[in-house]
Amino acid sequence: MANEDVQKTLAELSRELQESKARLEEAQRVAHVGHWEWDLETDVVVWSDETYRIFGLSPQERPMDLAAVRAMVHPEDRESLYRGVDEDLVAGVRPDAEFRIVRPNGEVRTVHSVTPKRWNSMPGDAKRDASGRPYKLFGTVQDITDRKRAEEALQEISRNLLESKAWLEEAQRVAHVGYWVWDLQTNRVIWSDETYRIFGLTPQEGLIDLDKVREMIHPDDREAVFRTAGEAVRSGARADCEHRLFRPNGEMRIVHSLGDLKKDSSGRPYQIFGTTQDITERKRAEEALQRSQFYLSEGQRLAHIGSWAAKDLGVRWSDDLGIYWSDEVYKIFGLDPQNGPPNLEQYLAAVHPDDRASMAETVRVMHEQHGGCDVTHRIVRPDGEVRHVRCVGVPVFEDGVFKAFHGTTIDVTEHERLTQELRRERAYLAEAQSLAHIGSWATNFATRQNFHLSDETYRIHGFDPRQGPPGLERFWDTLHPEDEPVVRSTLENAVRAGMDYDIRDFRIRRADDGQIRFLRTIGHRNPVGEIGEYVGITMDITELKRAEEERERLRQLEADLAHINRVNMMGELAAALAHEIRQPIAASITSANACLRWLARDPPDLERARAAAARIEQDGNRAADVINHLRSFYKKGTPPERGIVDLKDIIREMTALLRKEAVRHSIRIHSELHEDMPNVLADRVQLQQVFMNLMLNAIDAMKDSGGELTITSRLNLEGQLAVSISDTGVGLPTENTERIFDAFHTTKPQGTGMGLAITRSIVEAHGGRLWATANQEAGATFHFTLPARIEADA
Amino acid sequence: MKSAAVPTVFIIDDDRGMRQAIHDLVESVGLRAESFATGEAFLGTRHTGRPSCLVLDVRLPQMSGLDFQRRLAETGMQIPIIFVTAHGDIPMSVRALKSGAVEFLTKPFRDQDLLDAIQQALDRDRIAQEQQGEIHDLQERYHALTAREREVMTLVVAGMLNKQIASEIGASEATVKVHRGHVMQKMQAGSVPDLVRMADKLKLPPRK
Repeated sequence: MANEDVQKTLAELSRELQESKARLEEAQRVAHVGHWEWDLETDVVVWSDETYRIFGLSPQERPMDLAAVRAMVHPEDRESLYRGVDEDLVAGVRPDAEFRIVRPNGEVRTVHSVTPKRWNSMPGDAKRDASGRPYKLFGTVQDITDRKRAEEALQEISRNLLESKAWLEEAQRVAHVGYWVWDLQTNRVIWSDETYRIFGLTPQEGLIDLDKVREMIHPDDREAVFRTAGEAVRSGARADCEHRLFRPNGEMRIVHSLGDLKKDSSGRPYQIFGTTQDITERKRAEEALQRSQFYLSEGQRLAHIGSWAAKDLGVRWSDDLGIYWSDEVYKIFGLDPQNGPPNLEQYLAAVHPDDRASMAETVRVMHEQHGGCDVTHRIVRPDGEVRHVRCVGVPVFEDGVFKAFHGTTIDVTEHERLTQELRRERAYLAEAQSLAHIGSWATNFATRQNFHLSDETYRIHGFDPRQGPPGLERFWDTLHPEDEPVVRSTLENAVRAGMDYDIRDFRIRRADDGQIRFLRTIGHRNPVGEIGEYVGITMDITELKRAEEERERLRQLEADLAHINRVNMMGELAAALAHEIRQPIAASITSANACLRWLARDPPDLERARAAAARIEQDGNRAADVINHLRSFYKKGTPPERGIVDLKDIIREMTALLRKEAVRHSIRIHSELHEDMPNVLADRVQLQQVFMNLMLNAIDAMKDSGGELTITSRLNLEGQLAVSISDTGVGLPTENTERIFDAFHTTKPQGTGMGLAITRSIVEAHGGRLWATANQEAGATFHFTLPARIEADA
Repeated sequence: MKSAAVPTVFIIDDDRGMRQAIHDLVESVGLRAESFATGEAFLGTRHTGRPSCLVLDVRLPQMSGLDFQRRLAETGMQIPIIFVTAHGDIPMSVRALKSGAVEFLTKPFRDQDLLDAIQQALDRDRIAQEQQGEIHDLQERYHALTAREREVMTLVVAGMLNKQIASEIGASEATVKVHRGHVMQKMQAGSVPDLVRMADKLKLPPRK
């Protein structure tokens, strides 16, 4: 090749190069793209002007080498950038890197450096030595800081948007608020996820149209909801309504919906955008709150309990003390809540004059010491009614600092009345107990504990009520030693069996004065109490017993008197009989005297003498008649009423009748009766009289000594009933034993001497015999027989 | 004259035998006897002036003898009583005797005891009747006096002198003397002490 040509070519080429270089420079400047060359052998780096600019330097300010470039790369990106270049070179791929640089003024820029992929094949940029190893690297660098920033800003915005959307969703979910869009042209409805949830559907479960919405609204509310919507469309005002809806599972919810009308540029409404909030829980909570507030106020009203609070209780009440009274407090005080709580002066004016000073003092102390109170005082309502009020206040502290007083005001008038009544009734009861000598008590015999002892119980046992309840053992100690075992065992058995008991008559020695008293105690097991728990009463029956003994003594006396009367009557009878006999005898004696005098006359008046003698005979007969009449008194005197009589019955009767009399004289009655005694035909009353007479005689015979009365009955050899009544008394007279059966024969000061005579007449009238024998040891035995079968005797 | 002098023994006894026997005994000693079964029957008869006595059974059907005795006293009939009884006791006899009974006999009694008692009773009755007759005379004489004479008699008996009596009754002493003479004459009094005795028997109230 010619040199000139070569020179020309070179010059052309150089010019072209320069031109293209300038164009490149320009392009680079406009596009903020610079280029560079890196001699891998020498590490000399050649930059374009724009590259200098990108790095914050003046174009071609100074020659560059690798170390200078490296120093300008951001320290954090430096390592990875150069390792990456080496590796790419080795791999033969196009290095492509984004990294930050630090300009000399400290500004950080982000740049993008690219080496053409086919750098080794392109002219100028792929310089290789003979071995094919690259020795020069060529590339561009672009300042992408602004683009990067814009990108990041966009990313941030989009992230924020996403977040907001998520938050909105979350907010909707948490607040149970969903939104909806109602297209008025198509009547299509778009729901947010939460709206679906509120309606009990899975979010975006399907398209929603107006019919579906209508269907889900509570039938009672449908009309109102759509009327509100129509109103909104017509007037452009916001739609606002509360309504109920049914979820597909039937659950009812309450929602609050708001809707705003949207209009297009021509002013035609095309859409309603709205929110729907599920307020079911809030509604329920509201209702519950209302209910509980109602319950509270109602409870206060019913219980006559009011509550109050105050920041403090000054000596002067004013608004800044923040006095609060519940309605019930006003009601208790009879004040009008409209007027607000009273000041201290007004409050104290409402307090009963007698309690006013102490209440003022209470308030003062509470104020000064921040202490609580619990006082019951009287108030006078405006209408003059006096009520008893219990006021309880407590100070409230927070972190040791006094905050306020809280308290209750309770109308305790009824309670107070009941208490007073109870106190009065207690006094009456105690009075009644003391009058009746009846004490009441409540005791647990298992734990040996006395719960309650009335004052009278103390007094009955002679304990001092002021010394508190004595233990059960001290009660045992008062028991009379003779009665203790019985009382103890009765009581213990009852307690063990869980039965009630009634110990009717036992003695104690009173603890205070040692007097012996008779008590009765009745215990009822407390069915609702614990084991061994009894309530009961104890009575002092000493006076009662004495009265009873006195009554018994009087009754005895009465019986004795009746006996004496009977004796007297018998005496009268005897006297009457004596008179009856004496009269004819006296008459005949007188007549005899007259007779003698008639005969002694001169001449004797025989006529008169005879008449006298005749009268003597008459009177003699009359006397004889009286005696005959007496003897037949029990034969004919009362017409016998005979019937079948069981002697055993009569003996039992008579024994029972005379038992008391016998015991009184320490006489024991016993009978040995033949088992198969035949009945007799007899006058029952007369036989009773026979037994009565013989047994009374036996008792009389043992009156002073006591002894034994034995009644035996058997069948004798003749088949007769043989009864004997035997005593261990004074016995029979040694001579003329038979005379005791004579009428008017008696050995007793009160006796009539008729008993045995009558008895014998009765026995003989029944066809039997009566006799007496002396006992070998002591006393006498009277025997009588009765035919086992007696013919009816007229 | 003789029959009129025979005293009468009244017998009250409800027992017929006894009544007849006593009646017979009384008659056997020559006295007159009248017997009644009841007190009422006895009261129904006229009481004669002759001396009499009553044999009374203590026990009578309607009324006891003691009550009958009281009843007789109340009616002013004064007759001595002899009680007989079949069963008398000491308190009863004391009561009877205190009330003026002559005797209290228990049946059967000795006939002589009864007859002695009857005799005693009749004597007592005779004396009583005599006294009763004298008082009767005096009363008739006293009733014959004028009111003025009775007044003067009272004052004389009181021991006043004529002068005193005159000033007392507001009359002259001479007038008093006349009245006094009439009194002594009508009363058949021999002396002033005689008149005093008469006033005493008449049980005139003494001057105040």
